[in-house]
Amino acid sequence: MKVSFRLNGRPALVHAGAGENLLTVLRRDLGVLSVRETCGIGVCGACTALVDGEPISTCLLLAPLADGCEIVTVEGLPDDHAVPRAFAEAHAFQCGFCTPGMILTAAALLDENPTPTDEEIRAALAGNLCRCGCYVKIMEAVRLAAV
Amino acid sequence: MTALPPHIAPVISGQVRYSQDQELPGMLHARILRSPFAHARIVRVDASALPDGVVALLPADVRELGRYGCQIKDQSVLAFDRARYAGDPVAAVAAESAEEAEEALASIEVDYEELPAALGIDDALTAQVLVHDRIQISDNDASYFGIRPESGTNVCHRFRIAHGDIDEGFARADVIVEETFRTAAAQHAAMEPHACLASWDGDRLDLWTGTHTPFNVREDVAGVFGLPEENVRVVCPPMGGSFGAKTFVRLEALTAALARKASRPVRCVLPRSEEWVTNNRHPSLIRVRIGALEDGTLVAKDVQAWIDTGAYADCGPGVAVKIGYSVVGPYRIPNVSVESRCVYTNAPPNGAFRGFGATQAVWASESLMDRLADRLGIDPLDLRLRNVLRSGDTFCTGEAVHDVHFADCLERAASAIGWKDGRRGKGLCVLLKGMQTPSRAAIAIEAEDDGSYTLRCATAEMGQGSRRALSLVASELLGVPVEEVRFPDPDTSIVPYDTRATSSRSTYMMGRALEEAVRDLRHDGRRGVGEVRNEGGLDPDTGQGLASSHWHQGAGAAVVRVDEETGKVEVVRLHAAVYAGRVVNPPGAELQNEGSMIMGLGGALLEGVVFADGQVTNANLSDYEIPSIADMPELTHELVQQVGAEVHGLGETAVPPVPAAIGNALGSLGLHVTELPITAEAVLDAVDRRDRAAREPA
Repeated sequence: MKVSFRLNGRPALVHAGAGENLLTVLRRDLGVLSVRETCGIGVCGACTALVDGEPISTCLLLAPLADGCEIVTVEGLPDDHAVPRAFAEAHAFQCGFCTPGMILTAAALLDENPTPTDEEIRAALAGNLCRCGCYVKIMEAVRLAAV
Repeated sequence: MTALPPHIAPVISGQVRYSQDQELPGMLHARILRSPFAHARIVRVDASALPDGVVALLPADVRELGRYGCQIKDQSVLAFDRARYAGDPVAAVAAESAEEAEEALASIEVDYEELPAALGIDDALTAQVLVHDRIQISDNDASYFGIRPESGTNVCHRFRIAHGDIDEGFARADVIVEETFRTAAAQHAAMEPHACLASWDGDRLDLWTGTHTPFNVREDVAGVFGLPEENVRVVCPPMGGSFGAKTFVRLEALTAALARKASRPVRCVLPRSEEWVTNNRHPSLIRVRIGALEDGTLVAKDVQAWIDTGAYADCGPGVAVKIGYSVVGPYRIPNVSVESRCVYTNAPPNGAFRGFGATQAVWASESLMDRLADRLGIDPLDLRLRNVLRSGDTFCTGEAVHDVHFADCLERAASAIGWKDGRRGKGLCVLLKGMQTPSRAAIAIEAEDDGSYTLRCATAEMGQGSRRALSLVASELLGVPVEEVRFPDPDTSIVPYDTRATSSRSTYMMGRALEEAVRDLRHDGRRGVGEVRNEGGLDPDTGQGLASSHWHQGAGAAVVRVDEETGKVEVVRLHAAVYAGRVVNPPGAELQNEGSMIMGLGGALLEGVVFADGQVTNANLSDYEIPSIADMPELTHELVQQVGAEVHGLGETAVPPVPAAIGNALGSLGLHVTELPITAEAVLDAVDRRDRAAREPA
């Protein structure tokens, strides 16, 4: 079926199977490789995109349900966005596989709550796993982006 | 707004192209059909119902191919006579999409005749099941020490240390303690799964694959197809983590065989659940007996260790060796006897896992040190400091140790958690970990016309930051900005030979080779090549020789709170002090330490692969939990440096001390646990045992 949405500010039109998830469509049909599959069951956050401003596991969202939505991946954040800059400054990554999802979730948090406590940062990012274990510096990055 | 530096921008903007993202025109996608039985004879494989356009690799296709295995050649491309674990590949398909390939698996019928299975170490040592009838030692470069199978048993390697006189040692001891420890299998769970793309041109094979052992892979894959090694080219794109999982042949032989049959490039990206049947950490069973004089001087240590290497040996023999000396610990002990055995079972293959045996060994040996301290009535820190190796001392392997800082690391760790202010709920641990010895590393530098330099070496990037660290070293040696140093993905057709990017050796070994290469470049002007070797190794029958050309050293400290009603352990504080010698890239070094500690935390409290009848029952990231940011305790660490010291690798040192420090913190509350992971049930049992003992008259 035809699915149309806005991706990083531009209109996108794809043909997706009724059972296909947004992650597959973004990667296969739209060439967005910054969304990545790790767990495939919505627990790791590596496939996070902002769907109407909310961080969503795109591996769990059926593509047709994204019809009419505003979708943002890390490529769609403005160049001067505080969160990617803070992740760079704090060196909050190792292999980088989880980094786009982490950044998007942190960006959504700061949109809603510009001055989160450490507890609030932890709660917001608990669904984004980093097996390299960069959490110390990820905390620093989000604190840095918040000020 | 300034642009992000070029080594950071692709990561932050999601533009890194990992192994799983590699593609070629006309590429097919692979899926693997696996045995549901832990041990079964394969009676019949019928692919007659295969959908059009799908290519299947079947047992008949691989029967004539060579076997592979980095230390023992025990693995065929598909299992064709017997499936030896639940998950053993018995067929594979390639189709236009991964979804079509997945569907096509159902069209292949396999008849099995189930066989009795050896499930776990105890079973494999006593059962009448032989996982392999004969053992062919590999000629791969990774098979670098004498492998000692025990014929007619499932033991594929036995490593022994005989140092001093063990009987006399125990005869002198005033106090002897003994305990048996176990660790479960654990899963690396790198964010990126295993991924490989294979393409043939006549009898030349190109592989783009997530591996940090490209030359070992090349050698084994060439052997499978009976090709000269030069005909196989292995390129290593960046990996989304490995932690040891992406070493030696994983998907490469199967994907290449499928591509050859399909006459098309084939890519295999492993579905997450299949990670648990591809490579895990060795479960262990370790019995330790230690004897000391009344004043705490250690006089004898006797260890029997077994590790479960699963159905295929992989680097298990090497892990048994590393366990063999790591379990002695960084102590002066005049009389030592160790027997460490690598055992085949009908489990998925176990292989390299960040720590490489040290996690299992340190768990056993450092837990027992605290029991000994208890019995002696000596502070566990004092007991360790009394016995810890100091520069010039002799280790159980007969080698003298130099540039060692175990006491310093321990004291720093203890001080960080306020050891002197009271020990309740606190635990310590100290460890030594070897670096791959012998090995060799080589690197080439090419001067480009635009004034930049290109580094060509086999050190693959998996997030450990080697690319950045070596670029910084090159920039300093060449006197050019780091932006002028390029570091393309390793490609065996153009980089010089390197043993492998494992055992935290790359910054040290490749850094030294780089110094040579820069010197060579000064002569030639255009190209310089540097090669270094570290010589050594241990006699497999006596454990004497040189285990490691230098030592990875560290100490850990933990503070815990325990809910004795539920058995829940809360780690409130973790600290590690790791000897770095000299730090090349401070943020990278810090990240390695922090990441190691967090992985250690997962291994301590959360992570264990669970089996039922040989099948993994928690093969996903909701049932197999890894630490999230919400699990973080207050975590601090130190990189201990010394002026003029050589670089020491930092990739793994802070993993093993974490579980043992947490276990010892529990021990300080009278709660003695012997198994990893530490489950709430085990803690509740420990509470019962402690309370029962308190009620019983002495």
